[in-house]
Amino acid sequence: MRRLPDAAARGKSITLDLEGETVPAVEGEPVACSLIATGESVLARSIKYHRARGPYCFSGACSHCLMRVDGVPNVYTCRTPARAGMKLERQNAYPSAKVDVFEAIDWFFPNGLDHHEMFAGVPVAEQVMAKVARQLAGLGLLPASPAPERMPVQTLRTRVALVGGGAAGLAAARVLASQGVSFLLFEREGFLGGRLAAGAPEPDAPKALDASALPSGSVRTRATVIGLYDDEAGRFLAVVADGPEGLRLLKVYAERFLLTPGGHPPMLPFENNDLPGVYAGRAASLLMRRYGVAPEVAALVGWGPELYALARLMEEHGTKVAAVVDLKGPVPSGAPAGATQGGEPKAHGRNEVSGFSYTNASGKRVKVDCDAVLVAVATSPSFELARQGGAKVEFDEAREVFAVVADADGRTEAKDLYVAGDVTGGRSAAEAAADGKRAAEALVGSLTGGQS
Amino acid sequence: MSKTLICSCEDVTAEDIRHAVSRGYSDVESVKRFTGFGTGICQGKGCLSAVAALLCKEKAQKPASLLPFTPRPPLYPTELSVLASMKVDESKPPVGGVPEELAVFPPTLRPEGPLPAKAKVVIIGGGIMGLALAYNLSLRGETDVVVLERGYLCAGASGRNGGGVRMQWGTSANIELAKRSIELMGRFARDMGINVWLRQGGYLFMARTKAVAERLERNVALHNKHGVPTRLLTVDEAREIVPGLSLAGARAASYNPEDGVIFPWPFLWGYANGCRKAGIKVETFTNVTGFETSDGLVRKVKTDRGDIACDTVVLASGAWSPEIAKMVGVKLPNEPHRHEILSTEPLKPFLSPLVSVLDSGLYFSQSMRGEIVGGMGDAKEPAGLNMGSTLRFVSRFSQALLEQMPDLGHVKVLRQWAGCYDVTPDNNPVLGRTPGLENLLQMSGFVGHGFMMAPAVAERMAGWMTTGESDELFTRFNLRRFQEGKLEREDMIIG
Repeated sequence: MRRLPDAAARGKSITLDLEGETVPAVEGEPVACSLIATGESVLARSIKYHRARGPYCFSGACSHCLMRVDGVPNVYTCRTPARAGMKLERQNAYPSAKVDVFEAIDWFFPNGLDHHEMFAGVPVAEQVMAKVARQLAGLGLLPASPAPERMPVQTLRTRVALVGGGAAGLAAARVLASQGVSFLLFEREGFLGGRLAAGAPEPDAPKALDASALPSGSVRTRATVIGLYDDEAGRFLAVVADGPEGLRLLKVYAERFLLTPGGHPPMLPFENNDLPGVYAGRAASLLMRRYGVAPEVAALVGWGPELYALARLMEEHGTKVAAVVDLKGPVPSGAPAGATQGGEPKAHGRNEVSGFSYTNASGKRVKVDCDAVLVAVATSPSFELARQGGAKVEFDEAREVFAVVADADGRTEAKDLYVAGDVTGGRSAAEAAADGKRAAEALVGSLTGGQS
Repeated sequence: MSKTLICSCEDVTAEDIRHAVSRGYSDVESVKRFTGFGTGICQGKGCLSAVAALLCKEKAQKPASLLPFTPRPPLYPTELSVLASMKVDESKPPVGGVPEELAVFPPTLRPEGPLPAKAKVVIIGGGIMGLALAYNLSLRGETDVVVLERGYLCAGASGRNGGGVRMQWGTSANIELAKRSIELMGRFARDMGINVWLRQGGYLFMARTKAVAERLERNVALHNKHGVPTRLLTVDEAREIVPGLSLAGARAASYNPEDGVIFPWPFLWGYANGCRKAGIKVETFTNVTGFETSDGLVRKVKTDRGDIACDTVVLASGAWSPEIAKMVGVKLPNEPHRHEILSTEPLKPFLSPLVSVLDSGLYFSQSMRGEIVGGMGDAKEPAGLNMGSTLRFVSRFSQALLEQMPDLGHVKVLRQWAGCYDVTPDNNPVLGRTPGLENLLQMSGFVGHGFMMAPAVAERMAGWMTTGESDELFTRFNLRRFQEGKLEREDMIIG
């Protein structure tokens, strides 16, 4: 990974303290982004096998980028804005994440280890194993200091609570605004738009919407919804809002909940899929579009329109695309030259990606050199809140994901709960926006007592 | 070393998933528990669909049987300090809870073979009690036994508890049972071939009010009488055992180094494997729908997979026992009460014992995996089979934990869940024959500590059932005591 040579300055240049070394960074950019842009690809060692880990999803949906930040363990560096002088430490490694003696565990158990049966009932060995296992288990040391006093919880009431400001959520917000229905939209990122702003551009995608186009005070960014709970006063979202005063817990009661949280970049099981340098496709497009950070040479693997859109985005910005391997195929017309159907992908490299191989249509192994493997598959619907709210979730065999069951207007089994967009299964941004619009219209129609 | 990771938080490989299937664990909830996938920092966001797709491809499950494991709040790791910022009105009872549990598991998950038409013993409930009893019956030569379980193994309280095991109790009966249980747990791996990770880091109890402190002191004397090495601690001694522990407001503390924590799930798998090896049928995803009785005896147990004629029925359904008993016209005094619990991010070892404040019921320990696991009872919790999670609980718990361990504010909660205690009027179990239905044996009412009592209780019960010799346990804790008013109350209940 590197910063694109023609990238405009996107923030103030600062430095971070990485285990005593001074490394350059851009203020406000995710810490993990600054680190990989300077060539620091190994950020941690994994919990059991001590395998090298670098950031993967840039979405808080894996654990590859966790570091100790300013004395706090297990911090998602993909979601933590860089601040001058920040103290970063890699975790779970001895003596260092680059050379970790416990990596021996990975080699000692090439076929995995069954902790249920290992040394079970073997005198002495089982006691020794229990002691060793306890010392090796866990990720991160205790926080260095107590947490600051938090602001008291804030209770908000609105007619419609919207979760997620991507294509579907923004289209829904536009409907609610135009019909004069009060709403609050919560977006986990610091920006609106989801894949409209950070994904690989799709030809027919609608334009991202600026918060200023929506009623003032109706949009909260850097606001993470952690649960859809209920209590004596009704159903509410629990939200952790990150603001100038620190983290603050919000309770948001609403008459209707419209969930448009999109999906999580999934792990695609293939050999060495956890090697630093393997990135989720959505992470790669985010890094390219928002921070001007991209691989020199990338191999792309996955399926569906996002695979090809990502290949185009990479090529347009000067990343050499060494392979585009469609695991499902067939390769559609208009695909970038060299795209091919293949299988059995594998990432190569010692502590970071140096190559990628796959089996081509005629059964031959093909290997290419690259510094990144980008995994572009449909996201895994973020069905959690909907399920907590009483919606049904089913496995979609064709798409290989769990998705929320809803009718065409986003109605779920729970009367006050609507869903739209990727949470119902992977679709294009244009379709997600159309879903969001329809769900918002149906939702407004279900409100009693008129609009306010 | 080349590996194919499917859950990279917990380093679970695709091969590990296949291994779980080969061991008979193929529904998503069981695969999660057996392999640990989805239990790490991301809580399955990146891996759950991939695991389901693999189970589907390998034909381990039909698509209709693939359900996501229950998504637990919080959706993203959340600091204790943030959760503690919500004030809770303790004078009002808790309302609600998410997500709703499945009332019935999909019928497609049911085993395909038929149930036996008859069996000597039918045990209702495949939790720790039922499985331990079945296994102990097999040791005594009785293998014509069927165990019926409505969900997967670990679906009930046996799979939802914090894994604490202790000898510090308030009555002689419980102290003796717990002592024997912990002894059996110590050799479980040798007997059953599966690790249960018993770690004897002790239990440290604290008391804040005079009355509770006096009770603690009285109980310590009782423990010593039974050979349990509990001792009263000074403030300095307590701090030495748990660095960072605040003892502000504590009037007394007791500590037994031989108490500890275990990993609950493999107990069930170990007993179930032992049963199956002996020829006992353990039938999961099977619901009891009714009974056939005549002449003061249960003749048949009816299920949604057919009826089983039997000589003896054992009711070991934990918090579901009153519901099942009602089907046969028996009224149990038991009531289910939700108890909530949570788990944090895994940290390197820093906490040796399980710490509990006896006044509030707060308890917390560090699991072998490094997570802080803890809960706290809610005096206002209404009766009912509610297993939903509340923000109220995580807030109350976070406040109480930070009061004892003020340095943990930045530690993040990964998931919260709930299980039901099976509560009786005197906090003691219901055992023995049922008046009016002599071949219906009771094995319930363990008030949140059934898990740790099961090995010893099952051993005694199997002996009593197969030899016909009398055992005072089954008279002392018989249902009759509630009519006769001979109640001896257990007062060391926490959680």
